[in-house]
Amino acid sequence: MAVVEVAKEAEVGSPTKQRPKANKQFRDRNQIMLARLGWRFTTPALVIVGAITIFPVVFSIVLSLSNVNITGNGFQLQGFTFSNYSLLIHSSEWRYSLGFTVFYTFVTVFIEVVLGTAFAVLMEKLSKGRGPMMALLLLPWSIITVISAELWQYVYQGTYGVLQYLINSIGFGKPVILGTPTPAIIAMMAADIWKTTPFVAVIVLAGLVMLPSDVFEAASVDGCSPWQSFWKITFPLLRPTLSIAVLFRILQAFGVFDLPFVLTSGGPGTSTTSLAILGYKVMFNNLEFGPGSAVAVSATLLVLIGCLLFLRAFRSQVNGGDL
Amino acid sequence: MKVTRVGWKRYINGVNFGVVVVILFVMLPIYWLVISSLKQPASLGATPPQFFPNPLSLANYRDAFHTYGFGIYFRNSVVVTVVTTILVLFFGSLAGYGLGRLPMRGKSAILITLLIISLFPGIAVVPPLYLLERTVGILNSYQALIVPYTAFNLPFAIWILRNYFQGIPKEMEETGRIDGASPWKIYWSIVMPQALPGLFTAGVFTFTAAWTEFLMALTFNNSNNYRTIPVGIALFGTPFNIPYGTIFAASVVAVIPIGILVFVFRKSVVSGLTSGSVKG
Repeated sequence: MAVVEVAKEAEVGSPTKQRPKANKQFRDRNQIMLARLGWRFTTPALVIVGAITIFPVVFSIVLSLSNVNITGNGFQLQGFTFSNYSLLIHSSEWRYSLGFTVFYTFVTVFIEVVLGTAFAVLMEKLSKGRGPMMALLLLPWSIITVISAELWQYVYQGTYGVLQYLINSIGFGKPVILGTPTPAIIAMMAADIWKTTPFVAVIVLAGLVMLPSDVFEAASVDGCSPWQSFWKITFPLLRPTLSIAVLFRILQAFGVFDLPFVLTSGGPGTSTTSLAILGYKVMFNNLEFGPGSAVAVSATLLVLIGCLLFLRAFRSQVNGGDL
Repeated sequence: MKVTRVGWKRYINGVNFGVVVVILFVMLPIYWLVISSLKQPASLGATPPQFFPNPLSLANYRDAFHTYGFGIYFRNSVVVTVVTTILVLFFGSLAGYGLGRLPMRGKSAILITLLIISLFPGIAVVPPLYLLERTVGILNSYQALIVPYTAFNLPFAIWILRNYFQGIPKEMEETGRIDGASPWKIYWSIVMPQALPGLFTAGVFTFTAAWTEFLMALTFNNSNNYRTIPVGIALFGTPFNIPYGTIFAASVVAVIPIGILVFVFRKSVVSGLTSGSVKG
């Protein structure tokens, strides 16, 4: 592209103007040379990514369709089989994990986006100190998930946890938070919401700041209430930013692992077992790599289906445009 | 009628109230983390909980380093994270330059594939990578983590850098080309200096991702000598005796480098978030 422009400038009043054919040849040769250079620059990265992400995913599919035996220092694949998948479909644990992962994802992402947008709208009204507030909002995001999981586990702890103490002191007794399924699920969601809401707020705030201010001035002159101008102007203008953020959050949340692994170990029972936790347990606790890979593949498929459904959104990212 | 408030009362309004709520939302759990790390080990399980620890104690910090060997985990995390970040920036900036500036065919397909890869759940690649690393014999080593971390962070870094390279004016590069500078020289001494802010952004995201990654670190490096911070912290103690004080002391130490990084580079982080892709 760069060369095209050089050539265009050169055309104006330069000797090459009389020789358009030669110029075109020169341009083509240059383009080819630059394209080759581009591939030389890009190939190392693509080889690394291909070898260590795409190849393993394909290999995962192979594993999920084989009987895998772990040997002393390697592994053996025997035969082609659908048994891992039929095991999956007939297992109530897998069905529960699938349902739980999807439910957990949609509920947390919904709350995070609503709360995050509210935070962002608030921050945007702030005249001073927006920079430090941004840093504050990024703090939970930068904390290792394992650490926040340990922290919340301590807060929810059953005999000396501060939350239980607070609930008791306002007269609601002493609930066993992490030991009962529904409270454990809510507790896990709350931990996720704490960590991710501020991050969503930062994204939305960055989008808000870029909106044209004259529309809002016109609206307020015309007597729009803040509520009206949010729903009629801000929200529609923000929609592209929001949809991309929501889509990415959803696709990432399908792989949730760290939080339940540390906070609840997938329990009590299997109540907070996400697909990733189930896959991990089947593989590394039971050493059944065939069925475990099938679980992992099912989680990947979920993400891939999501990606394909929203391919248009991904394409729009290439052009840096809106949805 | 609008009343103009004077003195400190003029700071009382809905916005400031809301901001205080947001600050409390973010900071209360972090306050609890920090003060719990400063409590005496005996008062961590006190009922009612101590909201203001008295006396303060550094015993947990001593325990973390002396009894639980947190220093090893910290060192491992630094090695893995720094090497990963350097590799990602090196390969990522080359590819980002190619995809952002040079006339290659099939760019969109490559970029979309990279974007989708960056969203793959970790569990999808852990079983095959585990088996491969086990067969090759590199489980429990630095490269066991550096290699997959580099591969997994490259797609997002390429995206950030590609978007950044696209925005840099082309004139200087063209002058260099006309002067006959080699492509490598153009890239290294003309383009790269202009792309520094983009490198900061990609660097902060890669650093954060490598510093916080848990699943691969847990499965590939479970020997004590190669554990990184997240794994070390998760495996402190036993299921029946979780030493929260030590865990939180280690956590505070682990949060400090990344907290400083994010505070210093907060503008880079925000620009990375708005330049297209979003990574959590």
